Formats: sequence, C-alpha cells, structure tokens
Amino acid sequence: MADRGEADELGLRIRILPNQIVVGAIGEVDMVTAPDLGCLLVALVDRGHTDVVLDLAKLTFLDSYGLQAIKVTAARLRTSGGVLRIRSPSARTRWLLDLCEVSGLVDFEPFELVALGSEHQAGDTTVTLVTAAAAGQTAAVGWAAALPARHDVVDAALELVTALAQATVGGADGASVSLARHGRMGTVAATDDTVAQMDRDQYATGQGPCLAAAGEGHRFHVESMAGEERWPDFVPRARAGGIGSILSTPLMATAGRSVGALNIYSRTERAFGPPEQELAALFATQASRILASAGVAGEQATRLQAALHVRELIAQAQGVVMARQGVSAAAASAALLRSSRQAHISLRRQATEITASTQRQVPLTGSEP
Amino acid sequence: MLEQGRLEVGLSQGELWFRYFELGGMSTALQVEAFLYGALIPTSHDGDLIAAALNERFSELGGDHPIPYSDDQ
Repeated sequence: MADRGEADELGLRIRILPNQIVVGAIGEVDMVTAPDLGCLLVALVDRGHTDVVLDLAKLTFLDSYGLQAIKVTAARLRTSGGVLRIRSPSARTRWLLDLCEVSGLVDFEPFELVALGSEHQAGDTTVTLVTAAAAGQTAAVGWAAALPARHDVVDAALELVTALAQATVGGADGASVSLARHGRMGTVAATDDTVAQMDRDQYATGQGPCLAAAGEGHRFHVESMAGEERWPDFVPRARAGGIGSILSTPLMATAGRSVGALNIYSRTERAFGPPEQELAALFATQASRILASAGVAGEQATRLQAALHVRELIAQAQGVVMARQGVSAAAASAALLRSSRQAHISLRRQATEITASTQRQVPLTGSEP
Repeated sequence: MLEQGRLEVGLSQGELWFRYFELGGMSTALQVEAFLYGALIPTSHDGDLIAAALNERFSELGGDHPIPYSDDQ
C-alpha cells in the first residue's frame, strides 16, 4: 500500500457479447482500485445485465476490498436472478473466495469456454480501460455511462438469433425479427437488406405472414409464393423480390401475448418442411425469452418514474424548508426527517403537507437548525 | 443493525434501495448493500435515509420505529 507507483494500476477489459458481459481484471485489485471494479460491476447490474463474467486470469493481487466488491455484486446478481461467473481464478484466489464465503454465490469457470458461434458475432465489442490510483472513482463513473444499456444488448441478442436461424434452418436464405414497439411494427434484426425490405413491404401494405403471425399468435407459412392467394398486395412484391417461401413464427411475451414474429425467408419454393418448422419454433422461443427479460426491465422503468416523482416532491419540500429557515440542503433534509418522525407520518406525506402549506403556513415541528 | 432490520421487515436489498432512492438517496444499490454489510460507512444523511426507509416499512407493518437515526444518542 505504501508504494503508490504502477503497482496500483488495474486494467479492466470489457467484452460485450450478445447476452453476456465479460470483465477482465488485469493487475491489482486493492483498496485503491477496488472501488473502480465495484463501480463497474454495479453499473452493469444496474443496467440490467444478468450474466456477468469476471475473468481473473491476469489478476496479480486481490485483497479484502476487492473480495467485498465481488461478494456484494455476486449477492446482488443472485437476488435479481442473474449470476456472476468467476473465470480462470488462480488456486490462491479460489482459496480466498472459499475462505470469504464468496464461492457459494458465484459460478466458477476454470477457463474460457468458446460458445458455439459466439466469437466475433454481432454485438461482440471489446473496450479496454486502465485505471490508475489517481483517476479514482470519477473515471469509473464515466465508463459506466458509456456502457450499452440492456436494450441494445437485447437487439444484439436478437441479431444473433436471426443469424443462427439463417445458418441452421435448412433452405433459409435470410431471417428477421419484427416487433411491435411504441405501437407499430418494426424490424429490430435482419440478416440482410432483402429481408429487411420484405418486412417493410409487409408493414407498408399491412399484409403478410409476419403481421398475421404477430397479430394472431400462431405460425403462418407461405409454402409457395407462386400459388399464394392470401395477401394480394404483399405477394406480388415478394415475388418481385425473388422470394419463394416464408415461415413466420410468433414471438410471445409474458402472459401469452404475441409481440412480434421471427421470419425466415427462402428463395426456393417449399423450402420449409416439418423439421424446419420445428427448428424455427425453437429459435422463436429463444427470442421470446430474450424479450421477456427486456420486458421486466420496462416494468422497472415505470416504477422508477413513480419513485422520481416522490423524490421531486421531497426535494420541493426541502426547498421550502431551506427558504423558510435559511438552512443548507442537508440540514433541511434532516429537519424534514425529524419532523416526519415526530408527527408519525411518512416522509412522503410530510413533504406533501409542507409544499401544500406554502399557501397556509403550517409550522414545521422540531426544526431548529 | 440495518441489515438485521431489513431481514425483519422482509425487504429485498433491491426493494430497500428503491425506497431509499425514493426518499432522495443518491448512493447506488451496490453502495447501499455495502452499507448493510458494513463494508462502507454511510454518511449520517445516507444512514438516516436508510433508517427512514426501514422504519416506514416497520410502520406499514403496524410496528414502531426501531432503527435509530444519527441524532438519537
């Protein structure tokens, strides 16, 4: 600790995969650098990431501050249904984690498992950050702002699903995911421009298997575009685009409501038999799961708005107290707390009464500065 | 003390942070957890807001305000 040279340096390499974030810690995690690691990890959790890997292959030192940062993040991830994976810990680190009862909270990965198709796919972005002792927490807060929110990662994950669907479903020439967002359908992931154009043609004409699947919640299959009689406005455009068959499988949000469709396009007529349809259903389920987790984040946003309203109310009351008594923000906040306790009412109600009292001077009890 | 109170009223750590945030708290969820575990020491203002969040929950459950504030000596 006495030596504050390069020894205190910690590098954090962040790799963003479609449904996982990998944080590589390079160097020392000690009293000086642990807040940076902690700040980064909590920013990831706060942004809704549930699968976080902490790669310790290049870690040279870990003390109790670092352990505490890891422990708190792991506990937090567990309560939100996520997991912290510790990758490549040294024997000594592993022993420390066991000793501090962190082991029960995390999953261990002895080394990096290269997942099928996950390397260099859509959404794989790497950023390396180096923090020195002098940079401190301010730097970490700055990086946190630069991290993508879960929403972007969801779209990246859907891109991956379409890419995999195109690669694995026999006869598929392209795939896309259409979603109803803000009350209208849009394509959030498409393997190429032709596919994206086919989706747009369906939205423009208000017709087609994608809209039908999303609207009715079951599969729509165009076996042969040549013989297709449904959707008279859309079908000629599809033929002109060289499409022979389309398979649209609905994406279900929570409570069995369909919110979009996974569309697989082929230039060949009758490209999709029962095995392909089954495979498409599997990918649609995968995409639905990704969406369900994003939906949960949406609900939290609504709650957050309500909380911000209460904060605003309390801040207003604090302003009233500051003006009336000529005290600092902290003193006003303390006075509010004290008076709500003495009146046996919640801080929120006390704040409401004080702001209302600007018209009818209600004395604030127990509020000597 | 704070952590014990949290367990007694059955609030998850996320829920407690949310209530603390609602009352004007500015610390992140991780910092609040660190306060609970005693890994970080809260300022008296932060400590009071956490105490208020817990005490209001005790009230909702029909109880008293058992968590002390910074000026309760």
